[in-house]
Parts: sequence; C-alpha cells; structure tokens
Amino acid sequence: MNGKEAAPSAAGVGEPSATTTTAGGVPAVIPEGAVPAGARELAALIDSIEAGIDAWAQATTEWLSGQSKPTGTAIDKFIRPAVARMLHEPGSRLAGAGFVAVTGLLGHGRSYIAWWQGEDLERVDALANFSPSSISRYVKTEWFKVPVETGRPHVTGPYIDLLCTDEYVLTFTNPVFSSGTIAGVVGMDVTAQTLERAGLASLRSLGPGAVLVNAGGRAIVSASPTVDAGDLVQAAPEAAIYPVGRQFRIITHTV
Amino acid sequence: MSLSPLGASRSLAAVFTPIKSGGLVDEVCRRIELAVESGLLASGQRLPNEVELAGALGVSAVTAREALSQLRGQGLIRTTRGRSGGSFVTENSFPSLVQARGKLMELTRLQITDLGLHFQAIAAACAAVAARRSSPEDVESLRNYIRPQLDDGEPATAFAWRLSAAEFLLEMASVARSARLAREMLRLQADIGTMTLLPFSDPAFCEQTAALNSSITEAIADHDATGAEARTRELITSTITWLLAEYAGSPH
Repeated sequence: MNGKEAAPSAAGVGEPSATTTTAGGVPAVIPEGAVPAGARELAALIDSIEAGIDAWAQATTEWLSGQSKPTGTAIDKFIRPAVARMLHEPGSRLAGAGFVAVTGLLGHGRSYIAWWQGEDLERVDALANFSPSSISRYVKTEWFKVPVETGRPHVTGPYIDLLCTDEYVLTFTNPVFSSGTIAGVVGMDVTAQTLERAGLASLRSLGPGAVLVNAGGRAIVSASPTVDAGDLVQAAPEAAIYPVGRQFRIITHTV
Repeated sequence: MSLSPLGASRSLAAVFTPIKSGGLVDEVCRRIELAVESGLLASGQRLPNEVELAGALGVSAVTAREALSQLRGQGLIRTTRGRSGGSFVTENSFPSLVQARGKLMELTRLQITDLGLHFQAIAAACAAVAARRSSPEDVESLRNYIRPQLDDGEPATAFAWRLSAAEFLLEMASVARSARLAREMLRLQADIGTMTLLPFSDPAFCEQTAALNSSITEAIADHDATGAEARTRELITSTITWLLAEYAGSPH
C-alpha cells in the first residue's frame, strides 16, 4: 500500500459501454457484434472484486454511523472478522484488506490503521498506530487520498507495495462515512500475479497481443510476448479496446 | 537432472541449520531498533506496553516483556513507573555516528567490498529497468529525494541525508516495478543503512550524492538505461570507497 500512478483523468464509473478511448485519447470503437467472452470474463473478475468492496464499504459505513465514539479496539473487533472471512473464502483473490481512519476519527490528531494480510492474518505495520510519523505515510498515499477527497471508489496501481505486501499489487479503496462525514477508507490488495493466474487464459483468447492495462496505460496482465507487466503500452491503430471494471481496459494490439 | 553431491549437501546444510532459541525476542528487538533507526519512532516517544506490543506484533506477552528488557539493557529505551510511566525511546539513542562507526569497524574489508558489489548489482539493475518503465509521475517522485527536503533555512542533518538517499534508491526500485528487486533493495538498506550515516557527515559527499541522484533522475526521465545504470554504479562506488577509506583511517 503505497504507490502512485497517474490518477485517471476520466475514470469510467458505471456499466461497460461499447466505445472507449485509447491512452492517447483517440476514440476507438469496439468492432461489430457482442463483446467477446474473454473480455466479459475479465470484466466479471474485476467487477466481483469491486462489488465485494462496495458491499464492505456500505457495511462499514452503517456500523461506524452507529458508533458515537469509535476506539481502535472496537474498529479491530469489527474489521478483523470481515477481513478474515474475505481472505479465507475459497478462491479468495485478496492478499490483504483493512481500514484506515481519517485523522481525527479516534480523537484529536489521531489516525488508525487496521489492516491484515495473508492466510495467517498477519497484522500490517502494527507499530504504526503508536507512531504519528509512521501513520502519516498512509494518509499521504494515492489509495487513501483519492477516495477521501473524491468520495468515490478508486484503484491504485499496479505498484510495488513496500508498506505491506512487498509485492506488485493493485489496491482497491472505497470511502467510508460516519453519519454522512468521511471517516476513512476500506481497502483490498490484489496482486498482479493473482490476476494473471485468474485472467491470463481469458486474455489469451482475445489474441496473442492482448494486454490488460490500468487507467495510465500500464500493463497489469499481458498475453503479449513483447509486453511485460509493469511496462507502459499504447494501443495500435487496429486494436480493439474493451473496458474492464471502473478503471481498466483490455487492448488487443499494442505498438 | 540431479544435484551434485556438493550442491545437495550445501543446500541441506542451510535447511538444517539449528533455529536459535530466543529468535523471536531478537526479531521483536530488531523491528523496534529498525523503527527507531529509520526515524519512525522518535526519541522520547512512548512505546506500546507489553500487552499492546504483544498484540500488535502477534507474539506472546512473555516474548514482548523479554524484548523490552533486552532493549532496556541496550540503552535504547528507558522505563519509568507510575501513572505517566511506560517505556520511552531514550534521547539521542539512535542514530549515532558512534554506533555507525562501531558497525563499520566490526566488519572485515572483505565484507564491505562484497556488500558493495551486491548493492551495486541490485541498484544498477533497478536503474536500467526504471529507465525503461518510468512515467512523468515517477520522475516527479524521484526528484523529491534527490536531496533532503527541509523547511527554509533549516540545515540538513546527516540523518536526513541518509533517509533521503535510502528513499531515492527505494523509489528507483519502485519505478522499476520488480517486487524481487525492491525486496532485495530493502534488505540491503537494512544491512548497510546505519553505516551510510558516516559518509553523510561529510558535506562534499552529500553534494556529490545529490549531483549523482540528479543525473540518474534525468537519465531515467530520458529512458536512457545505459546512462542511469552507469551513474548508479558511480553512486554506489562512491559510498563504498568512502566507507573503505574511513575503515582504513585514510583521508577522504
């Protein structure tokens, strides 16, 4: 959980549409006919993660709105079982998940992080809650700032997460509110590796050069022999482009 | 394919190395030392109590108590009793030039040069890949760590220089977007970190580092892998050369 990437200028929120734009802003029209199965499968994969965090953010907002003065212990008690359930679900795609409070939620000048990762439910950066300089690292990150400032869900990355997983990850974060006021974010880390295992076959079915990219045009999963995850790519003129989730897209041909 | 007998016995030896008792206590101590050393826990700051620490790190209260007592023995923390009591990070406990020098002098010349080679290999690889993959935002964040950013007029301490230099290299590893290289860089920083405080007490070395960090950043911005790699090699060489001169007691 760290990272920075160009924030999407126009994060497409809502239903996948039949047209979208390339990294260069050139309109591209999806060829006649239905969206191919491979693109629908990848969209379903990301949609399920996004639906999961939407529901969790909703539940957390409801719980927080019923707390007159939340404490660290109470937050742990509410967040940890939810994280445990999500991480232990069969076929779980998550490397870690948790909650970070906005400064002031738990008292003057205090933030709080309740985040766990891995099968053993290892607590992330447990000492941070005792160190003001340490917690400030979190509140400065893209995955914290964007949902807090816009009040909308956001996906950060993929980026090298040196604060917790030490992996190449995507962090999905949603704002949570307490009686209408922003209270923090809930977030989920999904490694690029997990998405490759789950989505590479679908991606390959779209062609030998298909790449799943983020809003900044950075490859997340690649079927192309000339593109590696982490590379910046641009769509070739003949490419078909399919939107995936709120911020990603598939490019079938890259230059 | 079968392993040579020598290869097999070597890897087996590593697997069956006895696990030291008290390893967990040492690990808790190491974490807290690292937090203090990297400035995450400041002098005078109150540490969590035994129960909080045990809960936070997922160890037993006994282990946490032993760790706190070991840290007290090292003089890193002091404990006071009473209502406002607790364990506190001692003033000026870390990071000190004396400690950094002590760590350097514990090593052999061979260990220093070998650490330098490893450090150089990883940093140069990060630089080359970073040059290939950099976005304008990446270059912006690298620029933040060329030299320590301080409020107007405030002089940068050796400690601030060291933190900034470490962040620069970690940022470069992040721009390269290789989890393995980034993890290796973190590990190397932990190995060499304390010692790099020494060269940053030398203003000439600080300025040279800033100049090299700046040329590396420009090479990465220009997607010039060869240039980024060469300047990074120079950067690491200058650190190791400085440390070796200090070790030998010769002038810089």
